[in-house]
Amino acid sequence: MKNDDVIMQVKNLTKIYDKKKVVNGIDFEVKRGEIFGILGPNGAGKTTTLEMLEALRQIDGGEALLDGVNVAKDPQKIKALIGVQPQTPAFAEKLKLTEIIDMFAAAYGEKVNAKEFLRDVDLEEKASAYSENLSGGQRQRLSIAAALVHGPKVFFLDEPTTGLDPQARRNLWGLIEDVRKKGVTVIMTTHYMDEAELLCDRIAIMDNGKIVALDTPKNLIKNLLKKGFKKEQTVEQANLEDVFIDLTGKDLRD
Amino acid sequence: MIKKELFTIWVFAKLETFRTFRDKVALFFTFVFPLIFLFIFGGIFGGNNSVKFKVAVLNESKSDFSQGFVKQLTEDETFDIDKESTSLDLAKAKMDRGQLDATIVLPQNFGEKSGNNAYPSGEAQVIYNQNNEQAATTLTSVLGGAFEKVNAGFVKSETPFSVKAISTAKEGQRRFDYTFAGLVGFSILGLGIFGPTTVFPQMKQKGILKRLHTTTLKVRQYFIANALSSSIIGIVSVAMMFVAARIFFDLNMNGDYLSLMAIVVLGTITLFGIGLAIGGWAKNENQAAPLAQIVTFPMMFLSGVFFPRFAMPEILQRVSSFFPLTPVVDGVRLIVTEGRTIFDLGPQVGLLAAWIVIIYTIAFRAFRWE
Repeated sequence: MKNDDVIMQVKNLTKIYDKKKVVNGIDFEVKRGEIFGILGPNGAGKTTTLEMLEALRQIDGGEALLDGVNVAKDPQKIKALIGVQPQTPAFAEKLKLTEIIDMFAAAYGEKVNAKEFLRDVDLEEKASAYSENLSGGQRQRLSIAAALVHGPKVFFLDEPTTGLDPQARRNLWGLIEDVRKKGVTVIMTTHYMDEAELLCDRIAIMDNGKIVALDTPKNLIKNLLKKGFKKEQTVEQANLEDVFIDLTGKDLRD
Repeated sequence: MIKKELFTIWVFAKLETFRTFRDKVALFFTFVFPLIFLFIFGGIFGGNNSVKFKVAVLNESKSDFSQGFVKQLTEDETFDIDKESTSLDLAKAKMDRGQLDATIVLPQNFGEKSGNNAYPSGEAQVIYNQNNEQAATTLTSVLGGAFEKVNAGFVKSETPFSVKAISTAKEGQRRFDYTFAGLVGFSILGLGIFGPTTVFPQMKQKGILKRLHTTTLKVRQYFIANALSSSIIGIVSVAMMFVAARIFFDLNMNGDYLSLMAIVVLGTITLFGIGLAIGGWAKNENQAAPLAQIVTFPMMFLSGVFFPRFAMPEILQRVSSFFPLTPVVDGVRLIVTEGRTIFDLGPQVGLLAAWIVIIYTIAFRAFRWE
């Protein structure tokens, strides 16, 4: 499948730590404009995979092409093409949010309208605050803004909603949808199934450094049911989170 | 391309500088701390620079002459007379503890007219112990000189040979000139090494540097921006010390300000490079702190920060002349006190340039983003 629809090709990607293959020859392709999820329990190799694709970790085997650029051979070019949201975003202290945006833009040699980027993630009011005074959700949103200053083609997010309250999670899902609507391809890891099901067009499930399944969430469920799987419990029409959101509302609390 | 790269450096340098000026802890250590040292050391070594003897005076004579002599000693600024030492035993105890340089004893018949003489006479004794041999010798000759004048008043005598001391320069170097140059070195040492060796490991542990590494920011851009920012802060810090030294300790500025600025910037870039190499390499503060101290202490004690290097044994002087901080301290003193310009300081500037190449090569290779 070598066509323009594919933005990322990963072949036999391998990472070895202490003689152990933590990422063990995985293959997948990401289509332009989709939200691609990598799911898996802790230690499955999600973050390592992501960091290799972001040109932050050396690739020990196989290769990865992003928009035709070889990740291992031209990391600098790759970094200009991608935006990265790490697991726990942290910023230098004593800097205003506008200055942080300016700083990230300058890192790419660019000058931007910082206020506009802050408006996109609903942080305009906090423009003159220091990042250390933000809540977890606000910091995630700032991080998204900072990752997009240079107009990347692919946006990587590593477990973006871990540790956030339900309102902040939903808000972040909305923001990630918005990013995709602008034509940016999103590659994210998560270990929340609901998040993957709701947000991702296709997901790869990783375990022990290997991809054990790759398809749309619907197909994955369909295939499971075909095998004769039945949930022991009857499915409720609502769950506890629905109750929580119903009682406390969808509005952001920060 | 170059324009873009310079823009990156400029924004990072500007924001780094803002950050320092907004951080109260950083402000204290970079600006207030050196000033405190300036006042402490300026108080010890500043002001009147002339030799002063701490002595006890035991006057056992009741003659008018001896009374007058004691009064004269009391008024003389060369002598600091200890009033508590009223007996020789008390004075000896104090001398043993190093609190007194010597004891001047005027014996019972001192200043009385003896025999047929028309004028008073007597022999004063200077009592000292081994610790103070040098001070006592000087004191003896000072007193000897004083008595000669007195003698000349009583007995007219010819002096075919004499010696007169003529001071060379308009103004010699005062102790404070060394103190000031040393404290500028101290401030740059603190700014250059203690800053980055704590800040960079902290930023690594929080993932702040790793995040910057996801961008196209280059290590060299980051280095230059940080070195630039610390140079600006170094200039401000030294300027504050300079103004304080001028106002409170009468520091003489014989050189030009551009040369002073140039040596301060060169020094800051050099020392900051050491901090950057250590902080950029270390994964956490536990790795950085001991290394920072190993590097800092020899320079603190041997580069002329707290003690002038000329007072050290020759071998130490020779070794310490190659330390990166030594040309900074020497350079500041040569410019401020001796009125040299940066162009006269070939050896100092050359040594700093060599260090910059070495240090930044190491820092560049050792740097880790996480």
